[in-house]
Amino acid sequence: MRKYFSTFLMRWKMETQYRGAALGGIICQMVFGLILISVYRALYMGNPQSMPLSAIVTYVWLQQAFFRMLLSSDNDLMDKIRTGGIAYEMCRPVSLYGYYYARIMAMKLMGSLLRAVPMLVLASLLPEGWGIGAPASVPALLLALMGLALGLFCMCALENITMGITMRTIDFKGFQALLNLLMTTFSGNILPLTLFPDAWQRVVRLLPYAQLLDAPIRLYTGETPLHQAGQVFLIQGIWLCIFVGIGLYLWKRNTRKMIVQGG
Amino acid sequence: MNTLKLYLHSMKVLLKSQMQYPFSFCLQTLAQIVMEAGEMLAVLLIVNRFQALNQWTGGDLLFFFGMMSISFYLTECFGRGITGNFAALIRSGNLDTFFLRPRGIMTQVLCHAIDPRRIGCIAVGVAALVLGCQQSQVQWNGMKIFLFTEAIFFGMLLILGLFLIEAVFAVHSVKSIELVNAVTYGGRSACQYPIDAYPGPLRVLFGTLAPFALVLQVPSAVILGKPLLGIDGVAAFLCPLSGLVFFVIMYFVFQKAMKFYRSTGS
Amino acid sequence: MHFIEVEHLNKSFTVRKKREKGRFLREKSIIHALQDVSFHVDEGELIGYIGPNGAGKSTSVKILSGILTPDSGRASVGGLTPWTDRKTHVQHIGVVFGQRMQLWWDVPIIDSYRLLKDIYKVQKGAFENRLEELTDALDLKNLLATPLRLMSLGQRMRAELCGSLLHSPRLLFLDEPTIGLDAVSKLKLREFLLKENREKGTTVLLTTHDMEDIAALCQRVMVLGHGKKLYDGQLPELLSRYDTQRTIHVRYDAPPDLSSLPESCTLQKDGDNFIITYEPARIPTSDMLSLLQKAGAMQEMTAQSQNVDLLIARMYREMDL
Repeated sequence: MRKYFSTFLMRWKMETQYRGAALGGIICQMVFGLILISVYRALYMGNPQSMPLSAIVTYVWLQQAFFRMLLSSDNDLMDKIRTGGIAYEMCRPVSLYGYYYARIMAMKLMGSLLRAVPMLVLASLLPEGWGIGAPASVPALLLALMGLALGLFCMCALENITMGITMRTIDFKGFQALLNLLMTTFSGNILPLTLFPDAWQRVVRLLPYAQLLDAPIRLYTGETPLHQAGQVFLIQGIWLCIFVGIGLYLWKRNTRKMIVQGG
Repeated sequence: MNTLKLYLHSMKVLLKSQMQYPFSFCLQTLAQIVMEAGEMLAVLLIVNRFQALNQWTGGDLLFFFGMMSISFYLTECFGRGITGNFAALIRSGNLDTFFLRPRGIMTQVLCHAIDPRRIGCIAVGVAALVLGCQQSQVQWNGMKIFLFTEAIFFGMLLILGLFLIEAVFAVHSVKSIELVNAVTYGGRSACQYPIDAYPGPLRVLFGTLAPFALVLQVPSAVILGKPLLGIDGVAAFLCPLSGLVFFVIMYFVFQKAMKFYRSTGS
Repeated sequence: MHFIEVEHLNKSFTVRKKREKGRFLREKSIIHALQDVSFHVDEGELIGYIGPNGAGKSTSVKILSGILTPDSGRASVGGLTPWTDRKTHVQHIGVVFGQRMQLWWDVPIIDSYRLLKDIYKVQKGAFENRLEELTDALDLKNLLATPLRLMSLGQRMRAELCGSLLHSPRLLFLDEPTIGLDAVSKLKLREFLLKENREKGTTVLLTTHDMEDIAALCQRVMVLGHGKKLYDGQLPELLSRYDTQRTIHVRYDAPPDLSSLPESCTLQKDGDNFIITYEPARIPTSDMLSLLQKAGAMQEMTAQSQNVDLLIARMYREMDL
C-alpha cells in the first residue's frame, strides 16, 4: 500500500509545479461559467422553470470548479503506452493497476483542488443570482463531499479501464475523445442534467458519468433530500465495484499478453 | 499565387500522410462528429425546455450554432498550423527549420499542418444550419448567399487572429494555452448563442475586442430577417470586415514576435 | 573578400532562474554565448567546428544560418547578412541537424522532395537532374517511395542530406550528422561529403563531437569554448600540442629490474604486464627502449600513441572548459 501512496505523493508534487497553468485554467473556467450563467439567466427570463435559477447557477459553478476531474488528460501516460516506454514500468515491482490508479487519482485531485478552491471563493463573492449559493444544510454539504469522494473513486476506476483498453488499440486519441464526449455530455458539464427532459433524466442519472459531479451537486443543492443519500451512495458503490472488477481483470490480461509479446 | 500553390501542395502531402492511418482517421473523425453532435444536442435540449431565447426561436438558435461551427472548424481544419499547439512547434525546433527556408514564416506555419478530421464537426454544423433554415423558414437569395460566404470567410480570419495570440505568447515563453482558450473556445461557446443574451461586459468583449458578434452574428441575424442590435442594410455587409481588421493587426503583432524570437534565441 | 566573414560577433541570452523560496522576483542571469568571435572561411573549405557542450557552437551556426540575430558584430555569407537578408540568404544554404528531421515523417520521401522543390522554387529540369545525381550518390534510388518513418537511421540521414542539397546550396551546415550511425553508414556519409565538396565546391561547416569525422573530413578546425574562439588552424597541429605522452606495454620472461627508469615516467603493473607512460620530449624513445631492454629479457612489447578523444578531453581540461 505504501508504494502506491508514494506514487500518489510524487504526482501530487508534480502537479503543484504548474501553478501558472492553474491560474490560466481558473480564469478560463470562470469565463466559461459566466457565459453559461448568462445564457441560463436569459433563458429563465423568458420561460421560468420549476427548478429555481439559483440552483442552476450553483450547479454551473460546481461543475466548472471540478471540471478537471472529468477529463482524462494524462497524455504523458498515453504517450508512454504508445511509444513503448511503458516497458520500464512493467519492470517495477508494483501492480500496474494500483500504480495507475494512484497516478490518476493524484492528477485529478490535485489538478482540480488547485483550481476549485480559488474558483469557489471567487464564485461566492459574485452578486446574488450570479454567484454560487450556500449548501442546503451542513449535513447536505458533508454528504455531498462524501458523494464527491465516492464519485472520484468511480471515475479513476473508469479511467483505468480506458487506459487498459487503450493499450490494446493503437489509436487512443479517437477512443479517448469519444469517452471524453460521453463524459462532458452526460456528466452535466455542457448542460445541467436537471435541464434534460424529465424522461431522459431517469436514465441519465443512473449512468456512471452522472456519479462524479451531478450526484454530489444534487446533494449539495438539496435537490436530493438527505434521506435519499443512501440510494445515491449505493449506485456509486455498485459502479465502483463493477469498474474495479473489470479494470483488474483487464490489466491482468494486459500484463500477461505483454510478457508473451516481450513488451 | 506561388504561395497559394505551395499551400495547396502542402495540404496534399499532409492529407496523404494522414491517410496512412485510415482506421485511426475514421475513428477520430467519428469522434469529432459525436463531439459536435453533443454540443448540438445541448442546443436542442435547451430549445425543448425553454422554446426560445429572447426573440430567437429554436430554428434561429440552430442557425447561429451552425454558423459558428462551420467557420470555427473550417479554421481548425485548414489553419491547423496556427490553431494547433504553437508551443510544441517551438519546442520541437520546427520553427527554427522555417527560418532556414526562403519563405515567409506565417506561410510555412500554415503549410505545416492540416486537420481533416474536423470535417466531422463541419458536417454537424452544416446539419444544424440546414435544420435551422427549415425551422425558421429562411428565404435564400443572392444577397444572403453573399453575406453568408462573407461571414464565414471573415469569421475564419477572426478565429485565426485569435489563435495567433497564443502563438505570440508562446514565443515569449508564456504558458497561456488555458488563458487564450478562454477567448478562443470561450468565444466559440459564448457566440453560438446570440450576443444580446449577455450582460454588458461580455457584449463588449465579443462585440469589439473579439468581434464574433459583428463578423458572424450580425450577418446571421440579417439572413434570419431579425437584425441584431438594429444593424441592417449596408452596415451588415461592412460589419464582418472587422474580422479582417483583427487578423491584420494580429499578423503584424505576430511578425513582431518573430523578430523577438530571432533576437532572443530558443 | 572571403566567402564567410565573421567579425566581432557577440550574443548573450538572459536566462530566468527558478524562483527561490522567499524571493518574490525570479533572478535573471546572463549567458554570454558568443564573445567577440571573428573568423573567415573561403569558398570550398571544409571546416570542423568543435567545443564542449554549451560552448556557443550552435548559437554561431544559428546566427550564420539566419535564425538568430546577434547583439553586435558583423557577418556576411557570400556578401549577404544572414539575419537581414534572410530569404535570399537561405536560398543558398542547406542545413542538416543530426537529431532533427526536416522531411515529412509519414509520406514517401519523393513527396517531401517535390514539396521542397516548391518551397525553394527550383526549376523542374534542374530539380530532376539534381535529384537523379543525389539519389545516385546517396544510394536512395530504391527508397524514394518509402516513408521516412520506415527507414533505418542511416537511410534517414542520407534522405535528410539529399533533401537539404536539392536546391544546390553553396554552403552546407552539418550538426552532428553521424550521431548514432553504424560504421558503414558513417564511412559512406563521409565519402559522399568529400565528393560533394570536391566536385561542387560546396563549403561545409561541420559541428560534431566525433573527432573521427573531423579527422577524416576537415583540413581546418576551430575550437570554441565559453563563447570564445580558442583555436583556428590545422587539426594535426592542434593535437600535437597535447599529444605529448606515449605508452609502452611490456612483458618479461622473468621479473625485471626496472629501478633504473627515470622518475619522470610512470610505471603501472597489470598482472604480468608493465605499463610505462613517458614524455618523448624528456626521454627520447630510443633511450627508453634501451633502458627497458637492459631490465630483462622481453617477451612482448607494444607502443601506443594516445587516443584522439583523450587528447581533446585533455585540451578542454587545460583550456579550462
